[in-house]
Amino acid sequence: MDEKKKIGIFKYSCCAGCEFQLIYFQHYVLETLKAVDVTYCKMLQSGGTEEGPFHVALIEGAITEQWQADQLKKIRESSKYLIPIGSCAVCGGIPAVKNTSQELNVERRVYTNTSVIHSLKAHPVEHYVNVDGTIKGCPMGVRDLVELVKSLLLDITPQFLEYCVCVECKLRGNICVLVAYDEPCMGPVTNAGCGALCPSLNRGCYGCWGPMKDANARALADQFERMGLSREDISRCFTQFGEPAIEWKPGQVKS
Amino acid sequence: MEARSGEIMKENNRIQVDYLARVEGEAGFQINLDSAPPIEIKIFEPPRFFEGFLVGRKYDEVGDMVSRICGICPVSHMTTAIQAVEKAMGIVVSDQTRLLRKILSWSQIVASHLIHLYMLAMPDYYRYRGVVDMIPRFQTQIHRLMQMKETVNELTALIGGRALHPVTHLPGGFTSIPSSLQFSAILKKLEAIRGEAGQVVMDISQLDVPDFRTESVYVALKDSHDYSINQGRIASTTGLDIPVENYLDNFHESQVSYAYAKQSVDKDQKSFMVGALARMNIKYDQLLEESKKLAEKVGFSVPSRNPFLNNLAQSLEVFDGIERSIRLIESFHSQDERRQVRINPGDGGSVTEAPRGLLYHWYRINERGMVERANIVTPTSHNFLNMEKDLKKLVNENGKKGRDDLQGLCEKLVRAYDPCFSCSVH
Repeated sequence: MDEKKKIGIFKYSCCAGCEFQLIYFQHYVLETLKAVDVTYCKMLQSGGTEEGPFHVALIEGAITEQWQADQLKKIRESSKYLIPIGSCAVCGGIPAVKNTSQELNVERRVYTNTSVIHSLKAHPVEHYVNVDGTIKGCPMGVRDLVELVKSLLLDITPQFLEYCVCVECKLRGNICVLVAYDEPCMGPVTNAGCGALCPSLNRGCYGCWGPMKDANARALADQFERMGLSREDISRCFTQFGEPAIEWKPGQVKS
Repeated sequence: MEARSGEIMKENNRIQVDYLARVEGEAGFQINLDSAPPIEIKIFEPPRFFEGFLVGRKYDEVGDMVSRICGICPVSHMTTAIQAVEKAMGIVVSDQTRLLRKILSWSQIVASHLIHLYMLAMPDYYRYRGVVDMIPRFQTQIHRLMQMKETVNELTALIGGRALHPVTHLPGGFTSIPSSLQFSAILKKLEAIRGEAGQVVMDISQLDVPDFRTESVYVALKDSHDYSINQGRIASTTGLDIPVENYLDNFHESQVSYAYAKQSVDKDQKSFMVGALARMNIKYDQLLEESKKLAEKVGFSVPSRNPFLNNLAQSLEVFDGIERSIRLIESFHSQDERRQVRINPGDGGSVTEAPRGLLYHWYRINERGMVERANIVTPTSHNFLNMEKDLKKLVNENGKKGRDDLQGLCEKLVRAYDPCFSCSVH
């Protein structure tokens, strides 16, 4: 059998939840860890080098400091495939909420001495380097993760989910919370993968998987407006998980 | 703070770990053996400014957003924030909601402890790089971890919608309540891991814990009738006993030059310890009788002044938590209810016991339901100074050891505290 594929896992600005999802993804984890060679993952084990080379580098977290961007570029060079995992890395996620305010105002609310803080506008991984696919979700979805691992072992191209939450809602036979209950729901513009979790549990989707490709954010924002939401409320819906994402820009206008 | 590369630097008079492995988040530490300051835990986890960007967001977004402070204790941040928002807005929740919150919190405490014990701490004691290398020799233990983790995650997901970053929990209660049928299914699974939970305590009791004693002050939530997790008064081993409302009069957090995490002290500018060991030292009597018997069996007694024993305390909470969840679920009768929320301006704070210890959230909400100010103090900020103090003592007492052994011992101590650097910076 071929030599085991080397995997590097890197964490930037985030909650580390995707690494937890990865390291502990239950009954698959033991088989997976036996099949690949995780050569760098600080939360999992000591040792290893960030220099690579890696067959696959998995990146979690948004980029909010210069050293992260610099390191990321090096990882890109030493990796065959580079895949951002989870909303922070894929579309900015929660760390990018700060982009909606003036950076210094945000920093001053937290630190007395802001001269030691060197935080950049939060950007997804793709802002700095080319990526070879994304595993979306907050935390990243198990389905796409399994797809990645299988494809990796079989040497085939992974097929990630690229449609909106609405599709999953229909498959589950849910009543549409947006149309039937006037509940603001981000499902029409949010990438699928969660199995339409929120609408199945009596609440509108809040977009934690980030934008679907080609999302029609303008149409949904207009619908929210017809439902009586203020521009400010609408803007909040479109900035909670994807402030830097171009797909949701049309919904992010405050006034 | 500079980019971190490489791992360990050793000079004659210094131990330096640039990026500590097997902890949640990013930090290193530096120990100058013959110059001041002797110890610095350098938390370089980048700030995400939660308290900054929450300003201007709406009260009902706060729980969903703050759960993203931490991937290992999202339920704690979510619950504490929601309780604080409810306090600020004068929202009263049902007994059912409180009970569901309690089960949710216990499920997460158990899951978090399991990860920490087996995957982050245990490799130290058997001299492995990490849990992957342990698999061949420790198959039974790893299998136990997986089985238990799967069941408790399922419990979190049953109530919260998913184990990581739950979705059903909002100010006023839950959007969806599991049926009695669903609860009886999970009950069977929990009963099936009862025995395993006892074995966790045995696994951890076999670790060869360094002989070490500190004079730390311990702080935890205390309630007259329960081993409290989500409510109660704040108590210490030196006689502190205050309501949550007085938190800021008694604890003070400030910025330090070498870390993005802030450091907390008590009213007397002293450090203190929070977490499982602190809880044991403060409310051991309120553990279930079965848990106390198990504690006696493995020779654990309070007061316990060895921070390395925090791991054993966690294992006892794993056992207690499973047993407690079973009883709470048995007493649960699912009822339909509607969340009732009206926007009232005000401010309010809440303190809970996260897996790693005391967690504080405070919010000011305006008449439009928007956050005007936010304040979050995490367990690792509470423990930060005490960790440094203990490291200093450990180094002083073990100065004659070889450099590698000493460094290993220091890493082991930091991990025993189960720090979460992502939380601490947030």
